[in-house]
Amino acid sequence: MNCYRKVTDDLYWVGGNDRRLALFENIHPLYHGVSYNAYVLLDEKTVLFDTADWAVGRQFIENVKAVLDGRPLDYLVINHVEPDHAATLEEILLRWPDVQMIMTAKAAMFLRNFGYTLNGDNIREVKEGDTASFGKHTVAFVMAPMVHWPEAMMTFDTTNGVLFSADAFGSFRSLDGKLFADEFDFDREWIDEARRYYTNIVGKYGPQVQAVLKKAAKVDIKYLCPLHGPVWRKDFGYILDKYQHWSTYTPEEKGVMIVYASMYGNTENTAELLAAKLAAKGVTNTRLYDVSSTHVSYLISDLFKYSHIVFASVTYNLGIFPPMHNFLADMKALNLQNRTCAIIENGSWAIQSGKLIKEALSGMKKMTVLGDDVSVTINSSCREQNVADVESLADALAADLSK
Amino acid sequence: MLYQTTPAHEELRAKVRAFAEAEVKPIAFSLDKNNEFPRDAVRKMGELGLMGLPYETEYGGAGADVLSYAIAVEELARVDGGTGVILSAHTSLGTYPIAAFGNEEQKRKYLPDLCSGRKVGAFGLTEPNAGSDAGGTETTAEDRGDYYLLNGNKIFITNGGEADTYVVFAVTTPGIGTRGISALIVEKGWEGFTFGDHYDKMGIRSSATCELNFNNVKVPKENLLGKEGMGFKIAMSTLDGGRIGIAAQALGIAQGAYEAAVEYSKERVQFGRPICQQQAIAFKIADMATKLRCARFLVYSAAELKQAHAPYGMEAAMAKQYASDIALEVTNDAMQIFGGAGFMKGMEVERFYRDAKITTIYEGTNEIQRVVIAAHILGKAGKASSAPVQRQAETSIRKKILFKDGSAQDKVEALVAALKKDGHDFTVGIPADTPIVQAERVVSAGKGIGERGNMKLIEDLARAAGAAIGSSRPVAETLQYVPLNRYVGMSGQKFTGNLYIACGISGAVQHLKGIKDAAYVVAINNDPNAKIFKNCDYGIVGDVTEILPLLTAALDTGEKQPAPPMVKMKRVAPKKPYAPQKYYVCTGCGNEYDPLRGDPENEVKPGTAFKDIPAGWMCPHCGETPDGFIEIEV
Repeated sequence: MNCYRKVTDDLYWVGGNDRRLALFENIHPLYHGVSYNAYVLLDEKTVLFDTADWAVGRQFIENVKAVLDGRPLDYLVINHVEPDHAATLEEILLRWPDVQMIMTAKAAMFLRNFGYTLNGDNIREVKEGDTASFGKHTVAFVMAPMVHWPEAMMTFDTTNGVLFSADAFGSFRSLDGKLFADEFDFDREWIDEARRYYTNIVGKYGPQVQAVLKKAAKVDIKYLCPLHGPVWRKDFGYILDKYQHWSTYTPEEKGVMIVYASMYGNTENTAELLAAKLAAKGVTNTRLYDVSSTHVSYLISDLFKYSHIVFASVTYNLGIFPPMHNFLADMKALNLQNRTCAIIENGSWAIQSGKLIKEALSGMKKMTVLGDDVSVTINSSCREQNVADVESLADALAADLSK
Repeated sequence: MLYQTTPAHEELRAKVRAFAEAEVKPIAFSLDKNNEFPRDAVRKMGELGLMGLPYETEYGGAGADVLSYAIAVEELARVDGGTGVILSAHTSLGTYPIAAFGNEEQKRKYLPDLCSGRKVGAFGLTEPNAGSDAGGTETTAEDRGDYYLLNGNKIFITNGGEADTYVVFAVTTPGIGTRGISALIVEKGWEGFTFGDHYDKMGIRSSATCELNFNNVKVPKENLLGKEGMGFKIAMSTLDGGRIGIAAQALGIAQGAYEAAVEYSKERVQFGRPICQQQAIAFKIADMATKLRCARFLVYSAAELKQAHAPYGMEAAMAKQYASDIALEVTNDAMQIFGGAGFMKGMEVERFYRDAKITTIYEGTNEIQRVVIAAHILGKAGKASSAPVQRQAETSIRKKILFKDGSAQDKVEALVAALKKDGHDFTVGIPADTPIVQAERVVSAGKGIGERGNMKLIEDLARAAGAAIGSSRPVAETLQYVPLNRYVGMSGQKFTGNLYIACGISGAVQHLKGIKDAAYVVAINNDPNAKIFKNCDYGIVGDVTEILPLLTAALDTGEKQPAPPMVKMKRVAPKKPYAPQKYYVCTGCGNEYDPLRGDPENEVKPGTAFKDIPAGWMCPHCGETPDGFIEIEV
């Protein structure tokens, strides 16, 4: 059965929800599913904005057909070609072979590279500022390169203020019958998954997001229609503020993330001791994570949120414990910057992890290591002589947080 | 290239030569012998219009070209290498940075005096740990709002002490290597700016060379040249030009030696004829003349390129390197032609021989010149060259607060109050013989403690401060005031406790490394320039025999309670300032172009600004053209 929803006059959500996918992009775990959004505009001409993942292909086609209600599909606007959105393109072309496609030149090239056969006569390649009119509605195309793929663009309907924002403003989680952000308690149920989506998928491209946000500030947006997650029609200030923080790598909150890599619980014990001492000093906005059992996408996400991070790591094969090493590599890959860090190192014979973590941090931008050095060195286990060091690290963190 | 100088150049040469022969040559021997700066001659050079040759008449310069300046240096050096370098250092090191990078106000303020020779200029870059590698600069200029607080010292500064205006390079943003260096104009006579003794040099003894010391010198903000962080660029660009001056100096020295040798070879008769008619000597002279001609063309050509605003860095380096290398050869041959007579003091060739050597060393050693030349041909070696040099003060980040106000008693009281405020509890103490490595506090004696009897002052202070006794290495090893196991230093015991009171310790690097991890360092020394003051938290400049008894009395609380187990005091280190840098991000793939790294794979040298990227360059990852990159500042 079809299952679409009306966004506003002439515009319908025709996407689908996937609760069976375990790993988004085959890397990021999903526990609450994800939605693939597509939209149909009914004007003098009919327009489909993007398609959907193969997993929801049948539902998507049913929804499109139902909204068209027998009318032919005249236009297909492709904002983003990543296969979770373009996978069902061929299904559309089989049913409506004469559909006129609108996309960037790069998008056409990428689609052909993914193996789709496209009839060049049916493709209109657009650039920044180009427009298209479908009757009542005129849309303008806004290039959004590297948010988060190079071919990406956004489409702004100048008639009703709808911005089809591609992957920007998207989120993990399925919609479960609802559609608008204001139909959820977004700040409670969604923000963590929205952050995890942004930071891990788009996090590296802060400058490019900034460039798009500057363009968006110039138009009067009434609806924000992303390719994943809910549609925004109010409280734009809330989500734009989050994007402003994330894309400039500015922490949302003053708080401390303690991430530990512990083989037999001794580094964990030190990390816990630090957290307890922080709490005793009134610093309670803290999070403690075991790097071995927490998927790195959650660590990245939280680190975009908090201002301070403590790396507590055992030495492993004269290097950093591999999951911690992976976390640091991911931080670098996602361009994470502008954080205050502290280091607790452990080892039983040649303690190396602190020095190596500091080196890894020096390869990132605007990272400050508190105390300019390894804060605490533990030899196998935290003993009486180390407690003062842990205490003074807690003092240093508390003092820095209160600045 | 003309291959010939113009009549105007030759007129200038004749004028400078006449002056040099009349005013400098007669005194050159005594200047050299007495290590004396020719103040009168320098004043007359100003009157003759030689002190601002290549600068605009608008600012009091002579409006002549770079070649004229090179000829002037050459002619002065032809009679006295020292006088040559006075003009060279003044013109291309002391004046050029202001003329090239100064704003209108700075130019109006400083150039007329410099160009007229009323004032002499100098350039302060070299430091004990920063010579060929300016990234090691340790002199700091801390932003204090209206002014920079300048601290540090510069060594081997030509015209030092004699000059009135100094362009000094100092770190304004620590921890980011050469990008954190800025250039400041500093005037002689400012409080805290002092000079070390003149060096006793092998050659160019008529030029003044000394150490510059900066102790909390306030430099007004308006004396910053260019922008913060531009210092390295200013220094390198200045040295490029300076090399022409030194090349001209080397050329002049060699020319002087050559002429003297030719003259002598005509007069000296052996085996019945002048030695110049012996092939052994004639060939020598032929080689000397050929080398001189090569060097002259290199120097003049570099000067011409500079004048034409064409790239000349490589050519100036070639001129400097070659002219100075052959200056050694030519002066050596000249002395050989003179035989035993040349080896005698008072002979010009003996002086030329000594004067020549410095030209292969300063303004970039000839090894560095070859680095410069090779980099122009082959690109800079490796990415590592632009990596920021991480350096720390020897004893990590210190507060460097000196108590200066009031009487000795006032200073001691201020010190004790500060220590108590930091949490030092002087009601408890440790035995004086506690091993250094385990001690929470140490009172340590340096050579400045004086005679053995003064060790009583140290013992008293240690008792009053509840501290163990330590010393510098010479006090234990040479003076033997304390056993060898009491000395603190890299090769001795390392102190890692909470309070180190250094009494009469100058602060040799070896010693400072031994107290790197001390929580607090207090320095008491009568030399305000002692390095320990740059590496202490609190300091009092004063004599140990006066300060120590006062400090002992102030800390004395009678019998000390045994100290509880030590808790290491740790301070929150200040966050490192971060100098923003521009990057260029590709919209085709997200690749970042970092100007500091360049794109060596595609022959874009490190340090290439994005706008200077050669035409045809594309993103090495995705082929996007440069207009598809967005500029960001991080």
